[in-house]
Amino acid sequence: MIKSYLLLAWKVLLRRKFFTFISLFGISFTLVVLMLATSLLDHVFAGYPPETKHASTVNIAYAMLKGEHSRRNGFAGFALLDKYARGLPNVEMMTVVSMPSGAYSYLNGQRIKSFMKRTDGNFWRILDFQFIEGGPFSETDVKDHRMVAVINQSTRQRFFGGQPARGKSLEVDGQRFTVVGVVPDVPILRLVPFGDIWVPHTTAKSDSYTKDLVGDFMGVLLLKDPSKIALTRDEFWSRLKTVPMPDPMFTSIESTPETLFDTIGRMFIGDGTGVGTGYGDKLKLALAIAAALFMLLPAVNLINLNTSRILERASEIGVRKAFGASSWTLVGQFIVENLVLTLVGAAVGFVLAGWLLGLLNGSGLIEYADLRLNYRIFFWGALLAVGFGLLSGVYPAWRMSRLHPVQALKGTAR
Amino acid sequence: MIRHIFKLIWNRKRTNVLMVLEIFVSFIVLFAVVGLGVYTLDNWRRPIGFSYDRVWDVSIDMKQVNDDDFTQEQAETVRQVMLVFREFPEIEQTAGTMLAPYEFGSSSSSYRWHSRMIEFGVTEVTDGFGDLLGLKIVEGRWFGPEDRGQRYSPVVINRAMREDLFGSGPAIGQTIDPDQEPGQAPQRSGSGAAARDPGEPAQDKPRRIVGVIEAYREDGEFDGTRNYVIYRKDLDVFDAADRRNRPPRNMLIKVRAGATAELQERLIKRLQAAAPAWSFEVTPLADMRSSAIEFAFVPLVGVGLVAAFLMLMVALGLLGVLWQSVTQRTREIGLRRAKGAARVNVRRQILGEIAVMTTLALIAGVLVAIQFPLLDIIYFVEPHVYAISLAISVTAIYLLTLACGWYPSRMATRVEPAEALRYE
Repeated sequence: MIKSYLLLAWKVLLRRKFFTFISLFGISFTLVVLMLATSLLDHVFAGYPPETKHASTVNIAYAMLKGEHSRRNGFAGFALLDKYARGLPNVEMMTVVSMPSGAYSYLNGQRIKSFMKRTDGNFWRILDFQFIEGGPFSETDVKDHRMVAVINQSTRQRFFGGQPARGKSLEVDGQRFTVVGVVPDVPILRLVPFGDIWVPHTTAKSDSYTKDLVGDFMGVLLLKDPSKIALTRDEFWSRLKTVPMPDPMFTSIESTPETLFDTIGRMFIGDGTGVGTGYGDKLKLALAIAAALFMLLPAVNLINLNTSRILERASEIGVRKAFGASSWTLVGQFIVENLVLTLVGAAVGFVLAGWLLGLLNGSGLIEYADLRLNYRIFFWGALLAVGFGLLSGVYPAWRMSRLHPVQALKGTAR
Repeated sequence: MIRHIFKLIWNRKRTNVLMVLEIFVSFIVLFAVVGLGVYTLDNWRRPIGFSYDRVWDVSIDMKQVNDDDFTQEQAETVRQVMLVFREFPEIEQTAGTMLAPYEFGSSSSSYRWHSRMIEFGVTEVTDGFGDLLGLKIVEGRWFGPEDRGQRYSPVVINRAMREDLFGSGPAIGQTIDPDQEPGQAPQRSGSGAAARDPGEPAQDKPRRIVGVIEAYREDGEFDGTRNYVIYRKDLDVFDAADRRNRPPRNMLIKVRAGATAELQERLIKRLQAAAPAWSFEVTPLADMRSSAIEFAFVPLVGVGLVAAFLMLMVALGLLGVLWQSVTQRTREIGLRRAKGAARVNVRRQILGEIAVMTTLALIAGVLVAIQFPLLDIIYFVEPHVYAISLAISVTAIYLLTLACGWYPSRMATRVEPAEALRYE
C-alpha cells in the first residue's frame, strides 16, 4: 500500500514542476533556518571535546545576595565556591573557572586581544583537552602562584607565528606567563571551556577575588551519579544558610548546581528573582514555541498551495471514491504525499544548511566557530520536517477527502 | 462592481479565507521587520551629539565586582592615574566617566516626578567631559568648579528631556528629584554593567539643572534613549556616602593626530606602574564604534534576509494559488467573455478580487499592529516610526499581492470564450 502511495507521490511531484518547485522552495528554506538554529544549539550544548564528560557535570554558575530592599546577582564568587562547594556529596571533582575576560598584549606595535580564563588544576581533568604540545598546569602550579599558561592554537599563531611555543613566554595585560601547553581552539559559544589563554587563578593581580560571594567565577562539578543531583543540591543549599553576610543590607544568599541547559535558560529567560530551578524546561518550551511560530507562515503558504491543487486531482479522487476508497484512506494517501514532499525539501535543506554553516564558519562572526552537521541535527531536521509535513498536510487532506465523488468526477466541485 | 467582487470571493470562501490568512500573517511578519528597520534608521539619522574623532577610552578594571562600595585609596589611585596622562605630550585632554560612549551596558533610572513617571539614561562625568567630546550646550552652562560644595547637585540634561519635562517653560534652575511619598522608597531600576542610578540612597541634595545639551547618545547611532541626565563627578572631593562621587570606570583621552598603538602600549605600561593591582584597556572610540555597529547590524541583516526569503516564498505561493484559481475558473471567465465582457474587465475582476482580499487581511493586520502603541507595549518607539512602518508594510503587501496577480490575470484575459465553454 505504502509503496504505491510513494510511487504516486513521486509521479505527482514530477507532474507540475513549477508547483513542485514553489513547494520545495518554501519547505527547504524553512528547514534551512530551523536546522541552522538547531546546529547553533547543538554547538552550545552537545558534548564535543573537550566536554566529553558533559553528561555528568553540573555547574554552579549563578549567585544572588538577597536583602529586604537590595539584591546583588551575578556569577558565583570565588569565596562561595571555595568555602562552600568543596567536598559536596556525590561529587567526584570540582573545578573553579572564571568567565573569560578580555586581555590585551602589544606585539611589534600591534594590539592583540585574547580571552583569558583563570582556573585551577582540576579544570584539565574534568575537561578532556587534546594537547598539541606540552600539557596542563597542575594544582601545585596553582598553589605556588606560578606564572604559567596554556594557550590555544590561534594564540600560538598570533604570538609565535605557529612555531612551537612551549617554554616561551608571552606578556598579557601587563603580566608575563610561560607557556606550558597548547590546545586546539574551542568555539566562543562553549561557555565552560572557551578561552584563548588559561592561567592559574592565583596569578590575578590582586587577591580581592578570593573574598567575593558574587563574582565572575563558576564551579564545574563532576558528579559520581548524575541522577542523584538532588543529594548534592540539598547539601549545598543547607550550607548556604550558614554563610555570613558581607553587608547588613543582605540577609541570604542563593545559588544552585544545575545543568548547562538550566544555566543558559536562566540567562535568557530568568526573571532574576532568585534561584528557582527548571529554567531548562522553560527554555525548551520557548524554543518549541519559537520554532512553531516560525513555521506558521510557511505552513499557511503550503496549505494554501496544496488546497488549491486539490481540484487538479478531482477526477482521480472521484474515481477512487466511486470504487469505494474511504475518506481515511484518501487522507492517509495525501498526508504520505505531503510527507514525501517535505522530506525531499528537508534533504535539499540539509545540503543548503551544510553549505551555509561552512560560510558562517569562514566569516569569523563567531570566534573559532566549528559549526557542523551531524546525525543529531539530521535527526532534529527530519523531526521538524515531519512536524511541518503534518502541520501543512492535514487540512488539505481533510478537504480532499470530503470531495463528493459525483461532483469530483464532473469537475464541478468547489 | 465591488458588491459583485465580494460575492465572487464569498462563493469561494474556503480557498479565499486561507489566502486572507496568509496575507495577514505575512503582513504581521513584514510589519515587525520593517518596524525594526525603520526604528534603526530613525535612530541612525538623529545627531549623536558628540565627536569620537581622536578620542580614546581607557577603561579601568579595579578588580572588584560591584562599584557601589569604594575606598579613599581607590579614589586616590584614580587621581594618580589622571596625573599620569599629563606626562604624555600626545594627550591633549582627559575626562573621567562612569560609562564610555559605545561601551556595552547602560545605566538608566525611572521614577515618579511631578506625579508622572519619567525615565532617562544616566552617566556621571568629570568637568572635562563636555569639552573633550564637543557636547553642544544649548541652554545654561556645563559643569564647573563653581558647583563644588554647593547645596545642590548639578545636572545637565539633553534637549529631548528638557522638552519632555518642561515644554517651552524655563528649565535651568529646576529640579528633577523623585516625588517623596511617605514610607515609600524611590523606585529605581538599572541594567547592564555599571547599572544603577547613583542618585540613591544618599539622596539629600536636590538635583538642579544647570545646563541643557543638544544631545549625548552614549551608544551612538543605535542608541534609542530619548531622555538623558549627566551628573557631575568631582574627584577632588571624597565622600564615601556620596555614590555619585565613586571613582570613574573609564577615562576618555583626546590624543593628537597620528597617535598609534605604540602610544597605547607606552600608556598602559605607565598606568600599570601607577596602579599595579588594576588592569587597563585602551581602545580608540572609532574602533568601539565599528564593533558596536557590527554587533547591531549582524542580527538585523540576518533577520532581514530571513524576512526577504519568507516574502519571496509567500509571493511564489500566492502566484501558484492564483494561477491555479484562474485555470479552474476558465469556464466562468469564458462565460463572461461570451456575454461580451472586454478583456480589461476580466482582468479588472481578477485584480479586484485580489485587492479586496488584501484589504480584508490588511484591516485585520493593522488592527493587530496598532495594539502595540495603544497598549504602550513598546513604549520607547515614537509614533512616527509606527506610522512610517505601517505605511511601508501596507504598500509593500499591496504591491506584492498585485504583482503576484499580474501574470494570472493576463492569463485570464487570454481565455477564448468558444474554447472555454467546452472546457472540462
